[in-house]
Amino acid sequence: MIKEKLKVLVEMEPRKMIMYPLIVFALALIIILANYVMTGSIVKEGIELRGGSVITLQGINADPDIVAEKIRKETGINVNVEKFTSITGGGGIRVYVPAGNDVNRVREVLKQMFPNVEPQTTVIGPTFGRMVKEQGIKAITYAFIGMAIVVFLFFRVPVPSLTVVFSAFSDMVIAVALMDLFGIELSQATIAALLMLIGYSVDSNILLTTRLLKRKEFTVEEAYYSSLKTGFTMSTTTLGALASLWLFSTAQVIDDIASVLIFGLLADFMNTWILNAGVLRTYIAKREGKK
Amino acid sequence: MKKWKKLLFNGRVILLTFFLIISVVSLATRGLTFGLDISGGISITVKLEKPVDQQTMEQVRIALDQRLNALGVKDITIEPWGNQFVIVKVANVSEEEADQLVKTIERQGVFYAEFEGVIFATGKDILSVGSVNYDPRQGAWVVPFRISKEAAERFAELAKGKAGYPVDMFLDPPVNSTLVVSKEFYQALTSPEFMMGGDMTLAQRIEKAFNIKIIVYTNQTAKEIAKIAKGSEKVILVDVDGKLAEELKAMGLNVEVRTREKNEPMDDFVRRVLRLYGPYRVGEGLATGQPQTEVMISIGGSQNDIKARNDAQIVAVVLRSGSLPVKLSIERIDYISPKLGENFKRQVLIAGIAALLVVGAIVYLHYRRLKIAIPVMFTSFSEVLIILGIASIIRWNLDLPSIAGIIAAIGTGVDQQIVITDELLGEAMSGKRRIVKRSGVLKRMGRAFFIILASATTTIVAMSFLFKFFVGGLRGFAFTTILGVLIGILVTRPAYGEIAKVLIGEGR
Repeated sequence: MIKEKLKVLVEMEPRKMIMYPLIVFALALIIILANYVMTGSIVKEGIELRGGSVITLQGINADPDIVAEKIRKETGINVNVEKFTSITGGGGIRVYVPAGNDVNRVREVLKQMFPNVEPQTTVIGPTFGRMVKEQGIKAITYAFIGMAIVVFLFFRVPVPSLTVVFSAFSDMVIAVALMDLFGIELSQATIAALLMLIGYSVDSNILLTTRLLKRKEFTVEEAYYSSLKTGFTMSTTTLGALASLWLFSTAQVIDDIASVLIFGLLADFMNTWILNAGVLRTYIAKREGKK
Repeated sequence: MKKWKKLLFNGRVILLTFFLIISVVSLATRGLTFGLDISGGISITVKLEKPVDQQTMEQVRIALDQRLNALGVKDITIEPWGNQFVIVKVANVSEEEADQLVKTIERQGVFYAEFEGVIFATGKDILSVGSVNYDPRQGAWVVPFRISKEAAERFAELAKGKAGYPVDMFLDPPVNSTLVVSKEFYQALTSPEFMMGGDMTLAQRIEKAFNIKIIVYTNQTAKEIAKIAKGSEKVILVDVDGKLAEELKAMGLNVEVRTREKNEPMDDFVRRVLRLYGPYRVGEGLATGQPQTEVMISIGGSQNDIKARNDAQIVAVVLRSGSLPVKLSIERIDYISPKLGENFKRQVLIAGIAALLVVGAIVYLHYRRLKIAIPVMFTSFSEVLIILGIASIIRWNLDLPSIAGIIAAIGTGVDQQIVITDELLGEAMSGKRRIVKRSGVLKRMGRAFFIILASATTTIVAMSFLFKFFVGGLRGFAFTTILGVLIGILVTRPAYGEIAKVLIGEGR
């Protein structure tokens, strides 16, 4: 059973436990920094933030390069064409038109090429994109502060509360680094997913902290192991739900939300059950040693 | 049996049943309303030039409503969003209709009616615009409208004895600017087509009326052009290629470029650049010197001439739109064909059912007990049903982000049920069986609900910011997540706790 394997974590030295997630956190920071140096932004900004247009054609099978070339020839507009597929058989292409170009001309060409396909078009002005970005940063910052306050109010002890807040932060950082690696762009949907992570992350951390701090007749190890099992069940069910979302839909909004949440959840599993657990075990050992 | 009876009459279970019944009834009678990204349609986010007060916002809404309704498209909703945005949504439109809507919104601004280089009426002078209709006697589509007494008097004086002269109408023309134009363009500006029976060319008329300077481009240097353009608000390069735009921009000028599209007739291009409608010929009846407030514009063509009818409709829209209190710009357009939306609806349904089954299967694998897996699935399913029921009651538009929110809510919901389950199971799973007292169960439930409450509070706090700060877009996600969490902590989780207590806690 996988659950038996989790015992390895119980037997691990708490100090060592803290180290690994911190290494991963540092790696994530390096990836983000490298991305920043190379591209000038910590995560690639999608068309929603940069401005521009996307034309999505569902249910066709076409070579993206040929489509891009044809559009370039007919309109002189440099478009970027991308292919996508889903296991339900759906699939298609997305054509990205940089801001300031006439989308209608691109649409005309696409209509000639694929007369039976009804396109889905999104056109976003650059100033609107900037506003969305500002709002997104604002929403994430405030939500994070709000979360930290709630956590402190619930626990009223500094070390465990700080760890919960830090692991939520690390979850987001790792999710962003994975977005960089997998080329997922920052959009309204992924901003929402990062926000949602705050909620998910706190969920498991609160469970662990409550169980460890409020346990009465059990040892720290027993309490940790039992919450670890609960947490494992929680994570796998949520991952299952998100994976089905990701697999069955071709809508980009849903795909993006699902993948960022999956990244964050994986990071959260590590940060809660290894990092936070390590800190808590050290903290409790110290506290009880003093008594 | 007794156990079940007790359970059925438990307050929390009754509450759940109550919500479920209401949801099912509402879903069956009212149904769900879907967002445009599912039902298909267009959503246009419009930004106002500056933040406005509520009264001005209402004026904008009414003006937009009138203009868009003039197109004959049904079911237009116009939602003001904060003090600077308006979102226009129209369900079930074809691509052509969607384009027309966008163009109509773009085609706004200040209206001018000009005759012989004199502006005799602006948007304020248009008192009302009648509906477009066909006049068989004239063999034309006509747009009747009423102008103010002052404008009528000014016009009567100007046009006396000048039947056959052209009247121009402009919507947001490039006032106080310098146009650098190609030879062909200049020829069109001075052609008889725009002059009609008058004695001034279009170029002369716009120069006099709007202070538009016109330079025919013959390879002048940027410096020379900048000298002439001094005092102009902007320089517009019309059909002039080369590096001129960059050079002028580098000199700190406000430069815009207009290029003629493939197959675009020259006269249409001229109208597009100047934002000109017309010119329209002054009829005999208007050239008598008698002021007339009831006037009309006629566009020749047969009753079946769709182009003439559309042109007339555009004129009507232009006349009406002169009264918008602030300038608008389109910031975002989302268009989804109705067919595609149908496809999405099917996909999310499949994804939702799959998510539920996968969750059930995983829960079963973890506990190896149907007694746990089935109630967990049932609870999640009721949660979805109640969220949808409430959405149906308040007629919330379910868009894709809203649906993602519902599925995210299933995720947290299941998490919390697992917390409850494990607290109830206690340490029995860890191998060491300890005696769990009745009071122990209550305590454990208390601890489970402490965890649930804390995490629900943080999720609600986080999502509230999303709900508050975002323009449109993802508010649906925030809304259904918050709704799901609230239903979870208030209705479904307490009921699950009771059911689980009976099935696991005491049944053990």
